[in-house]
Amino acid sequence: MIRPGLLLRLVVFTALIAFLAMPDRFAGLLAPLTDNGAPAIYNQGSLVSLTLSHLFTVALATSAATIVAVGLAIFVTRPAGAEFLALSRAAVNIGQTFPPVAVLALSVPAMGFGEGPTRLALFLYGLLPIFENSLVGLSTLPPAVVESASAMGMTGRQRLLKVELPLAMPLIIEGIRLSAVIGLATATIGSTVAAKGLGEVIVAGLQSNNLAFVVQGGVITGILAVLISDGFQILARRTSKRRGASPQASRPATDGQQAPV
Amino acid sequence: MIDLSHLTKVYGDTAVVDDVNMHVEAGTITVIVGTSGSGKSTLLRMVNRLVEPTKGRILVQGRDVLKMPAYELRRSIGYAIQSHGLFPHWTVARNIATVPMLLGWDRKKVAARVEELMELFQLDHAQFAGRYPHELSGGQQQRVGVARAMAAKPALLLMDEPFGALDPIIRGKAQADLKAIQRRTGTTILLVTHDMDEAIHLGDRIAVMDAGQLKQYAPAADILARPADAFVDDLIGTADRPFHYLTLGTLGSAVEPGEADGAPLAASASLYEGLGALLWSGRKAAPVIGDDGAPLGRVSLSGITDRAAQPR
Repeated sequence: MIRPGLLLRLVVFTALIAFLAMPDRFAGLLAPLTDNGAPAIYNQGSLVSLTLSHLFTVALATSAATIVAVGLAIFVTRPAGAEFLALSRAAVNIGQTFPPVAVLALSVPAMGFGEGPTRLALFLYGLLPIFENSLVGLSTLPPAVVESASAMGMTGRQRLLKVELPLAMPLIIEGIRLSAVIGLATATIGSTVAAKGLGEVIVAGLQSNNLAFVVQGGVITGILAVLISDGFQILARRTSKRRGASPQASRPATDGQQAPV
Repeated sequence: MIDLSHLTKVYGDTAVVDDVNMHVEAGTITVIVGTSGSGKSTLLRMVNRLVEPTKGRILVQGRDVLKMPAYELRRSIGYAIQSHGLFPHWTVARNIATVPMLLGWDRKKVAARVEELMELFQLDHAQFAGRYPHELSGGQQQRVGVARAMAAKPALLLMDEPFGALDPIIRGKAQADLKAIQRRTGTTILLVTHDMDEAIHLGDRIAVMDAGQLKQYAPAADILARPADAFVDDLIGTADRPFHYLTLGTLGSAVEPGEADGAPLAASASLYEGLGALLWSGRKAAPVIGDDGAPLGRVSLSGITDRAAQPR
């Protein structure tokens, strides 16, 4: 049996694929949003390749943020790294406080125009949700379980890989989800420094006063964000399902975060 | 089996375990009893080095545990705790298999051992092997916890209030089961509890701890008959003492020749149970039968109560 929610997502996903594959077929739909016979479909580059490079930029930045943030969270929850906890928190927080636009502006002189500054900004911005969630996940494990792992004769490494990480996984995935979704939205501003992405469509629309461009760029980004977020949520639910009623799994630790504009 | 000499653990300025010397015989159940904060758990946890001693020496089977890698030591010692600490993301079978897997047993041997243990602990393999801990009752979780502790056939099993979270009825059964399993496997058990009833019921020897010091270490009967000091006396409870004492002997030891009316009592039942049965049925005496049902004689109320008096 297919649940209505899943069905809706399938329909939306199919529509997205269809639009990206044959955008011209949808021109009639968007035409009412244009004036003076302006093109209804973005015509200065392929929507597919813009979407793919947008996704690639987000995937790259989020993966890098995941590796660094989870690694850091693991490090500061080991006895050897405990004293670096406050320092890492402060460092990661700076990454989040610094507006991505400012990162873009400051890194262009050093890195030049293109994808580089965007990836750096998304990476820095994505660290905090993953780090905080991993930290909560790794430091709030039931003490009896962690002690049992040691008492059974697991080495520190075995305890981390067999017990701590699997049990913290739902929260870590939740952090990656937040980071990816924020990154997907934030990546649109990368177009201001000539990064290829869906922001290009939106910016072009704003500059030429073409509402159809703005809508298609925005809607594609929005749908991608919803679908990716759903995907991560399904994954998080899978990893927490077997643990039974886990209060941690469904509650994002850093909720209420706003994507910057 | 275990030799503790001058074992001391200091936190800050306080010695939570203060110069304890103790010898535990192989194949016995030794119960460490004391109030909370007496250092009994700390003492236990030093044996598998979950707590590192400040001073002193621990020998397990003649080997100095402080000179072994901690993980290797722990794989050779079973450990079960009150809140069972089962791994919530692993099935019952995988939980029980923890230590054998760490030791690198081959799969078939592990699977056979898991099945054997589940049978020993009365958990139906077909029904429970694939379940997760949160799908079990408290009593079942506790049994899985003990099964996991015994999985690699450790010669020594450490238990920290293993029955603390169980309700009284299940606790009684769990204690009886543990005792039976211990007699069958010959495992040496060192168990910590705050419950004197449990200590007397389970312990071949009882170690009483207070404020980090070992106050008395003796068989249950000696502790009851000759408490070392006021603290031990207090812990036993003056009113309960004769009744505790009666739980240690069997009706078989109080059989006298003669006959009596009414339902017979089993010779293997404790004097305490016999006293209860006589009082409740309003009889002065009852016939006693052996395990095979053969009449052995009778027990009388006075025969039992004589044995509740403090030995001279």
